[in-house]
Amino acid sequence: MLVYESPSQRVPLLTLETLKSARHPKNPNHPSHSTPCPRSRGHVIARNVCSKQVTYTASAGSFMRTNPTANLQARARIWTSMFRSDSRGTWLVQVGWVITGVTIATMLIGVVLSWKHISNISLLYLPVVLWLAARYGRGPAILASALSFLSYDFFFIPPVHRFTVNEPTEWLSLFALLATSLALGQMTATVRARAQEAEESQTQTETLYRVAQLIAESGDERSLATSLTREIVSLFGVNGVLVCDILTPDEHGALTSIAHWSSIEDNALDHTLTGDPSGDGRYALLRKPLIAPGGVVGQLVVAGFPSLRQLAPDPFSDASSVEEREEHMPNGNVDSQATVFSAVCDQIALALEHAVLAREAAHVAALRESDRLKDILLGSVTHDLRTPLASIKAATTSLLQNDIEWSAPERRELLESMDTSADRLNRLVGNLLDLSRLEAGVAQPELDWSLMSDVVATVLDRLDLSGQTRGHPIEVDEPADLPLTQMDYAQIEQVMTNLLENALKHSPEGSVITIRVTPQTHELEVAVIDHGIGIPAGEREAVFDKFYRVQRVHSSWSSSRPPTGTGLGLAICASIIHEHGGRIWAEETPGGGATLIFTLPLALDRPQGALPEVDGQAQETHR
Amino acid sequence: MTPGELPVEPRADTQKATQHRPTGARVLVIDDEPEIGRAVRAGLRSVDFDVDWAANGEQGLERATQWHPDVILLDLTLPDMDGIEICRRLREQSQTPIIVLSVRAREADKVAALEQGADDYLTKPFGMGELIARVRVALRHAAQVTGTADVGSARLRVDALEIDLERRQVKVDGREVHLTPTEYEVLKYLATHAGKVVTHRVLLNAVWGPTYEADAHYLRVFINQLRRKIEPNPSRPHYLVTESGVGYRLRDFD
Repeated sequence: MLVYESPSQRVPLLTLETLKSARHPKNPNHPSHSTPCPRSRGHVIARNVCSKQVTYTASAGSFMRTNPTANLQARARIWTSMFRSDSRGTWLVQVGWVITGVTIATMLIGVVLSWKHISNISLLYLPVVLWLAARYGRGPAILASALSFLSYDFFFIPPVHRFTVNEPTEWLSLFALLATSLALGQMTATVRARAQEAEESQTQTETLYRVAQLIAESGDERSLATSLTREIVSLFGVNGVLVCDILTPDEHGALTSIAHWSSIEDNALDHTLTGDPSGDGRYALLRKPLIAPGGVVGQLVVAGFPSLRQLAPDPFSDASSVEEREEHMPNGNVDSQATVFSAVCDQIALALEHAVLAREAAHVAALRESDRLKDILLGSVTHDLRTPLASIKAATTSLLQNDIEWSAPERRELLESMDTSADRLNRLVGNLLDLSRLEAGVAQPELDWSLMSDVVATVLDRLDLSGQTRGHPIEVDEPADLPLTQMDYAQIEQVMTNLLENALKHSPEGSVITIRVTPQTHELEVAVIDHGIGIPAGEREAVFDKFYRVQRVHSSWSSSRPPTGTGLGLAICASIIHEHGGRIWAEETPGGGATLIFTLPLALDRPQGALPEVDGQAQETHR
Repeated sequence: MTPGELPVEPRADTQKATQHRPTGARVLVIDDEPEIGRAVRAGLRSVDFDVDWAANGEQGLERATQWHPDVILLDLTLPDMDGIEICRRLREQSQTPIIVLSVRAREADKVAALEQGADDYLTKPFGMGELIARVRVALRHAAQVTGTADVGSARLRVDALEIDLERRQVKVDGREVHLTPTEYEVLKYLATHAGKVVTHRVLLNAVWGPTYEADAHYLRVFINQLRRKIEPNPSRPHYLVTESGVGYRLRDFD
């Protein structure tokens, strides 16, 4: 990713406010959400403002609208544009063709006249004019008409080889020739312009359609920007665009490239793109602020051959000359390419703004959801924290009462209730801490190579010690040589503990709980299988949500026990397993009960070595 | 709570305790939470230990030099000093067993404390029964180190596991188990420290030497193999238990 640091490149950002206010300078009340139609006045003004942002690497800076020579130059351009027109030739070539065409027609007429007098032989000039009008447009046609008029007069109207005419009726035929050829040239040129316009407008529509399609297809901002840069390089490659970058402001407001596409590899090009002065000047650079109705959303930067400057809005133009210019647009596709480029940029700006808004909306939705969760959490936690506290408080105050003589079994019962409540409180606080750490993203797994058998043994050991496994036979089904697996030992221990506690809590005394560890090619599968009340089919995904508790159907053995879950245990498991790149899900145990399964990825490049054999006697000296 | 006002109560209590029946070993509790101090004191006194309490590191170090406790219970999160640092300074003074008390999910702290000379650790919240058992193990080890323990000459016995140090022979339930020399060394090391946590690094260093200190993952595989030879049910180890994230402990059944 390229980060643009040169101070000059922050200009569009610094002028962001200026640009916003400059969009509708003539009418400050103009609704800012007007459609950015390429032909609208507001747009033209915006483009003019934008054009001031355009910098060229080769030319000396930007041109101001107040430049006194600008208008003259613009008018000169209009006249030259009559001949300049398009890729098929410069005006010199066109003049050459005009002279050639008229000369050939004149010679042809000379040959014919030397053989026989034909009265309307001057009509032979018309095909030449017609051809020139069709090929080069109005300008060459007018020139050819004038030339035909003059050469016919000079060569064939007596007195020959003079521009005067003896017979007044000859004036008539001469002017008829001029008028016909001018009219013919004019009409043909108009037809040609229309056809060209239609063709261009079709190309523009296709271009815009392709861009629109891209915008509609792409998902997130980055992939959208990447496909757009690629599309711009391919669409405007004919104009010399080799590289395209889309820059958006990062959280600090600095413009940062979010997408980059290049059709060639060249360091000089990269230097040009990053505004590095060491670029050798072979390439040109064009920056275009991306302006959406809501303001500037970023910047589009293209670099490539100097011809890409055609894509810049005309730096001389102001509102009036743009209109004049538009009249002459049919004469060439350069201006129309600039228009398409501008329209594409507007589309990109809109798409980027849309993506930003969508992201903000998602953020707001997430905040709202998090608020809702906090409310639930507060409710749930208040209840869950108070309940064990209340029973501890009740039991201790009972024992502390001086006037009551408690029997030994009574005392024991009160103490046991305190013990159980304290354990429950400990578990809840632990879960809440785990969850908040996981949610805050500070509990990134610290991966180490460990054995799942160690985890299982440690957890069972701890549950044995706290008496939780009492009355539940637990079977462990694992191969002798489990592969080393990458995991955060403490976190996977937490997962195992939560899954086992879950199984113990929800299965009747005496029913077997099985832990099955199965290594597969790419992952290690661990299943905790109980034969308890199970999870209803519709709730097997929801159990991994925070604060979700299965709506219990009280079975014969569990009716006496209140649900003690916090609704957090499985959510914590899911969060940890996902952080490890594994999967977790619930199934039904054949014959009834729940089977909770998680997987951890098995790396193919796991350590395969072993510790060496040592001679015990030799090592005695170590300690 | 200022450090100045705290010693009054524990010292007064100590004196009271001394008046009581100072038969048991001396246990110094260094923990800034008065309620923990109170509960631990009450619990340990009920089994005839003599208990003193210090509320911060400075006081703890001072009491340790003056009072010469037999076991020190040390909380790792104290207001004035880093628990690991206290551990190190206590070790400079004496070989008094230190049992570290810490909250869950601070494995790195536990390992650091153990490597700075702590003997054992307990995770808060803990049961009194467990604490008493750990204190007793620590006392027994201290006696073996300083007293006339017969390590190296006789046989070690942990429940049904018997290690004949003379003949380098291991028996489980009277049945001889064939171990490789390395397996024997590992088992012997753990058995001579039975009941104590041995960190991966310490065990690797003791058996394989410092070059292998970082190979904890291979040690896991190795211990897994060893369990298959000595454990009746290797999936549910009876003797050789894993201390999560820290190391191993050969269970002490006395």
